[in-house]
Amino acid sequence: MLQTYLPMFVMFAIVLVISSVMFFGGQLIGPKNPNPEKLSPFECGNDSEGAKNTKLSVKFYLTAILFVVFDIEVVFMYPWATLFKTLGWNGFATMFSFIVALVVGLAYCWKKGALEWES
Amino acid sequence: MNFDILLAVSPILAVAIGGLLLMLAEAFGKPMVLTGPQAGLVSTDAGAGRSDELALGSAVILFAGALISVALWKVGPESLPGAAALAPYLIIDRFTLFFCFLLCLGGGLASLLAGGYLPEHNLDRGEFFPLLVFSTVGAMAVAASGDFLSFFVALETMSLGVYCMIGLRRGNLRASEASLKYFLLGSFAAALTLMGGALLYGATGHTDFVGIGQGIATIGKSTSAVNAPLVLVAVALVIAGLAFKISAVPFHMWTPDAYEGAPTPTTTYMSVAVKSAAFAVLLRILVIGFGDPRLASWGTGWPTIVAWLSVLSMIVANVIAGRQESVKRMLAYSSIAHAGYTLIGVVATMHSGQGTPSVLFYLLTYTVSTVGAFGALILCGRRGAEAVSYEDLAGLGKRHPAAALAFSLFLLSLAGVPPTAGFFGKLYVFSAAVDSQLNVLVVIGLLNSVIGAYYYLRVMVYMYMREPEPGAPLATPMRSGFVVAALIVAAVFVLVCGILPNTSLDVAAAAGLSHG
Repeated sequence: MLQTYLPMFVMFAIVLVISSVMFFGGQLIGPKNPNPEKLSPFECGNDSEGAKNTKLSVKFYLTAILFVVFDIEVVFMYPWATLFKTLGWNGFATMFSFIVALVVGLAYCWKKGALEWES
Repeated sequence: MNFDILLAVSPILAVAIGGLLLMLAEAFGKPMVLTGPQAGLVSTDAGAGRSDELALGSAVILFAGALISVALWKVGPESLPGAAALAPYLIIDRFTLFFCFLLCLGGGLASLLAGGYLPEHNLDRGEFFPLLVFSTVGAMAVAASGDFLSFFVALETMSLGVYCMIGLRRGNLRASEASLKYFLLGSFAAALTLMGGALLYGATGHTDFVGIGQGIATIGKSTSAVNAPLVLVAVALVIAGLAFKISAVPFHMWTPDAYEGAPTPTTTYMSVAVKSAAFAVLLRILVIGFGDPRLASWGTGWPTIVAWLSVLSMIVANVIAGRQESVKRMLAYSSIAHAGYTLIGVVATMHSGQGTPSVLFYLLTYTVSTVGAFGALILCGRRGAEAVSYEDLAGLGKRHPAAALAFSLFLLSLAGVPPTAGFFGKLYVFSAAVDSQLNVLVVIGLLNSVIGAYYYLRVMVYMYMREPEPGAPLATPMRSGFVVAALIVAAVFVLVCGILPNTSLDVAAAAGLSHG
């Protein structure tokens, strides 16, 4: 088994060596002329003002929930697809009714405007 | 294709398909034309302002579900052997069918009440009705489930709809508080139940109630691999989680706030359907899963826990209910107290075969009386002047005798005065308890019924014997055919169960669970 994975370990070793040379090499041989301005923590823009907990539009949540709902459907479809022949028409009818229920949900979201970003 | 299965789940299936259609009807219907400042514009929300048709639709769907359950009862679930393929995920027996009928009845009456309440109080949102129907689907599945997996999925289906229905009054702080409280505590309770289920799976290797029961029965034998302390912890966790849903003390803290903040039809639904479904699964778990004689005995098992829950619920709720100034809050505490009375019947299942039927019959009488009481409260209020306090109802008996009479009937039934349904409900629960030698519980229950009568009768005293203070806001009843229809149906049930209890009692007796 080790024989099979040996090339991979060799590759890991090479990657490790090359990246550490790049990482630490710059520190070792690069020019260093520090000044206070350069050492201060980097910032840009003005000091922030206002509330820290900015309110997100509810649309983000709607989109996220819709994504989850229609994404989970795929989880149900994979096992069905792998056993398609075994399950036969019975499985087909079950899956079909499931998808019909999903389509009804999609139609509902669409009509209610949940899929529109700008309204 | 196994048609027995389709036929067996037809009550649940019919309501689910009806819910899908109702959802489409809500979204694709003709939008209401706005009046007032926005006159001439068309509402962007197609479901708004159409409570009449949607309420009628959901009531028809749910009553159809109830009728299908009755039809299936007449056919007899035994004659559908193919339905056994669904076990243990969904068990279709007479017990399930009884609850399908009860839950559809409660849901249908709640949707009728909503048809009157929502437009009157400017809450005319169409989403309420599909949510109610889907939540009832979940409730029926809870009652039918015989496995922790399907039970949990069904429980969440039931609860999700209810969370939204509580928060229907979106801008209102109290409604948001109620919704959030119920959501957080509800998730917590569901997690407790799930933890109990996980421990039981760890101990017995089964998630279905029958398998758990068989696993527990092997405890004490030399070949048994079941860890007894683990089972005891799991039993406590499962009971605690379900005690939250039936709002038994000390898991009742959310009840008054959630019931008061929610729109009254939602309150009705919660106190009727959610509670009944939780009792259904509690009975099934206790009798089938934890029915082992050692676990179902005084001292070493759940009867002690359930009895304490029952006693605390009755005493605490009745004492606090008497001190309420809001009638809606009083009814919330009254529903906690009724959970206590019903739990007496649950304890009685340990010895007496009469235990389960008495709980079923009690839930039937409680459902119709509570729907009636909340419905009468809805009837007594108008937009901007919802009847909430006792003072609001002063002198109602003279000004609006019909509304006051209806309210009195349901209150008497809740108090348990013959010849109403509530009397026989209490009678059978107490007699089942006496059969099981639970005399102390019966005495406490009887004393509490007397305390309970005080605050129910107090409403009637205000309605018939007090004159309103000069200048005080007067409650003027609303006009709504929906609410009146719901009250008439509830009143018929209250009187029929009260005067001729034999039929419904025979039905409840036939629906009882058998051990093992």
